[in-house]
Amino acid sequence: MSAPTRLPEAAAPPPAPAASRRRREPPLRWLRRNWWVYLFLLPTFLGYGAYTVYPLAASWWYAFLDWPGFAVRGEFVGLDNFTELLADDLFWNAFGNSLLFLVVAVPLRVGGALLLALLLNSRLTPLRGLFRTLIFLPVVTTGAVIGVVFTLILDAGGPVNAALVRLALLDSPVNFAANADTSLGAVIGVWVWKWLGITMIYWLAALQTIPPELGEAARVDRAGPWQEFRHVTLPLLVPFLVIITLIDMVGALNVFDLANTLTGGGPAYSSEVIEIFIYRTAFEATVPQLGYASAAAVLFGLLTIGLALGQALGVRAIRRRSLT
Amino acid sequence: MSRSTTASAAGTISRRRLIGAAFATAGGTVAAPWLTGCTGSQEPGQGVASGGGETTGAVTWWDQFRPLTTLFEEELFAPFTAAHPGVTVERREMDGPSMGQALQLGRRSNQLPDVHSLAGLDGSPASLVGAGWFQPIDEFVDVEGSPVGELLLDGIHRFDGRVYTVPVFSSRWHDAIPWLNTELCERADVDPETSPGSWDAFRAALQQLRGAGGDDVHPMVIGAKDPSYLASLLNRLAQTAGAAGAVDPRTGEYAYASEPYLQAMEWLLSLQTDGLLHPSSASMDTRDARARWAAGEAAVYPWGPWFIGGLKVQEPEAVERGVGVWHIPTVDGSDPVLYSEPPGGTFWVSSQAQRAQLGAELMLRLVDPEFQRSLASAMDQPPVLTEVVADAEVHPTYRTNVEYMAADVRMAPVPQVRNPAVSAVLAEMGEVTPGLGQIVQAALTDGSSDWRSALTTFAEQMTAERERAIESVAGDGAEVGVEDWRFEDWTPGEDHQQ
Repeated sequence: MSAPTRLPEAAAPPPAPAASRRRREPPLRWLRRNWWVYLFLLPTFLGYGAYTVYPLAASWWYAFLDWPGFAVRGEFVGLDNFTELLADDLFWNAFGNSLLFLVVAVPLRVGGALLLALLLNSRLTPLRGLFRTLIFLPVVTTGAVIGVVFTLILDAGGPVNAALVRLALLDSPVNFAANADTSLGAVIGVWVWKWLGITMIYWLAALQTIPPELGEAARVDRAGPWQEFRHVTLPLLVPFLVIITLIDMVGALNVFDLANTLTGGGPAYSSEVIEIFIYRTAFEATVPQLGYASAAAVLFGLLTIGLALGQALGVRAIRRRSLT
Repeated sequence: MSRSTTASAAGTISRRRLIGAAFATAGGTVAAPWLTGCTGSQEPGQGVASGGGETTGAVTWWDQFRPLTTLFEEELFAPFTAAHPGVTVERREMDGPSMGQALQLGRRSNQLPDVHSLAGLDGSPASLVGAGWFQPIDEFVDVEGSPVGELLLDGIHRFDGRVYTVPVFSSRWHDAIPWLNTELCERADVDPETSPGSWDAFRAALQQLRGAGGDDVHPMVIGAKDPSYLASLLNRLAQTAGAAGAVDPRTGEYAYASEPYLQAMEWLLSLQTDGLLHPSSASMDTRDARARWAAGEAAVYPWGPWFIGGLKVQEPEAVERGVGVWHIPTVDGSDPVLYSEPPGGTFWVSSQAQRAQLGAELMLRLVDPEFQRSLASAMDQPPVLTEVVADAEVHPTYRTNVEYMAADVRMAPVPQVRNPAVSAVLAEMGEVTPGLGQIVQAALTDGSSDWRSALTTFAEQMTAERERAIESVAGDGAEVGVEDWRFEDWTPGEDHQQ
């Protein structure tokens, strides 16, 4: 084993003056002088601790308890809840619906918003401001309200059915939100419509970062609109695509208010996403099961973490590629 | 801790540790009681004043009876507070599901009101009593000597010899009463005064109603978005085909796969196939359906006896336009015989009550004959003293319906009254999914649904779950078995003497 290398004293970097002073200053005096820093931080610590850290930690603990909602406390049952969950068809049904939601809704929202952003970024489009506002309007409307309104719009006597029947696209009205075959699609459609505006704003912001000279140069080189988009705009948007997709994916896993008011997870569980499963198990079952619901939430959380990690790896890969 | 100790410990403190310590101390101090409440690590009921609790202050009261708001405030709370100086009543009205959540959270955080109903809690009251939710009221008020003293039953109001609650509403009703829009009936030349006796006659009447008001008016609407509504509807229709209930008292077996249930389902589906149901029914819960009925979109809406009371509050113009009622039709046109359990307790004094004595006194005023008469006038569920309806200020159709219910509904045998250990089995039983309501919903909304198999599977799963629960409870020393659901002395068509 070699002896540790020791720098000659003269070669050692002198300690930074501020750090040196802090090291010399007694902590209590330092605290007396800077107490207000922690005072201002305290509300954040308290709020974050009570409303984020504590529920998170508690749900992990509850997942190991057999806790009927009527009881004051649960009983430790180890991994029983997870074992039971893995054999629960309704859990997998909800899990599958959530994944299907993710796979279908996110590309629709990201892609649709990109198309709109390209259209509304063009100087040739008239009334751009008006259209941007109109498309953004649903974003600031409460999800639950939209769910209730769309129940009426999509039902068999609603305007959508009336139009489709009149256009001979349907033989007879279909209760889109209350039909086992179409209910999940209805939730996806309404969710995409509601949140399209905010994703469009992200894309518009991203498009602003592309120097117009690049497009002009492409056009000088006789590139058509598609070639300009494919070879100039799109490559520059890829880093934004990753971030926007991540944001939208997280959003697609938080659809409780809309799904609950639009379909309530029905009919017959056909549109039950994992959040409604958790809510139903925790509060609406004949005997509410808090531990079981928490276990479902933990598994759902692991899925979300997995997605976030996958996304992070994607970002890193893209950065590496752009550096090389 | 002395100052010098603090200083000594602080001598090695880092910023990270300091932040941690500050968070732990301040956060713990501020949040600990709150968080402790949330996790329920303090036993509810502890710290409650002994005896009847405080004799002044605000009695807290939670219920779901929106149509009764004015009645409660003016004819229950106001006289009570006038008679008790220094006492007020703080009532909170919530819809059923919200209340279920609020009660669960309140229980765990030791914040339950003094008196509350059980809306949103689907577990049996016996299991809640067993879990320590309530406290007996017989030491505070003379329940046995009250007008409902003779209606009190073990396993429903009385547990281990102590009275916990009193019946306020009658249970001689069902929730598939065909309520009519008389204006549409008259337009279609259908007599709202004459009930179509059989399923076929009912279908014929609906077909006649189809042309009553153009394309936007439909013969019947149901709240098919709500599985519990559908479960009740099928149960009641099955009873009109000869079932005695979800459990057949003659055999003690679940009857979901029996002929009456299959017939009832087929009939309900045939109404939809024939285009007699509002096509948007599947996206309506019970209140939506009532609103659409009130808007004139449907002529018939099968629901409970509280229908007119709710209309008076939410859609009074529909009552003025004309509301009628029929007997529920039966498969063969015979007189309907449906079964309901004896009336349970509506309100309970919480084990966490700070003013249990006052709460119990207030609760007992609900069964005072004068108040019962006022209760009838709200036209919600019929009051437990149904005789007061005769001279109460109610809509004639409401009175007619109460008479119909008296003729059509019989008291069913209740296993937990005969053997209280049955309550423990019911409490032990877990939920079986998909339930009856979801099976009906799937049949109505998914043409490929194999509902016959689903009903058979549901009956088998319920049987298996009950057997498991019996085994579990018997393992703890209780004497209970499947035979407790069997009533050899039960006579169909008669009130069972509990």
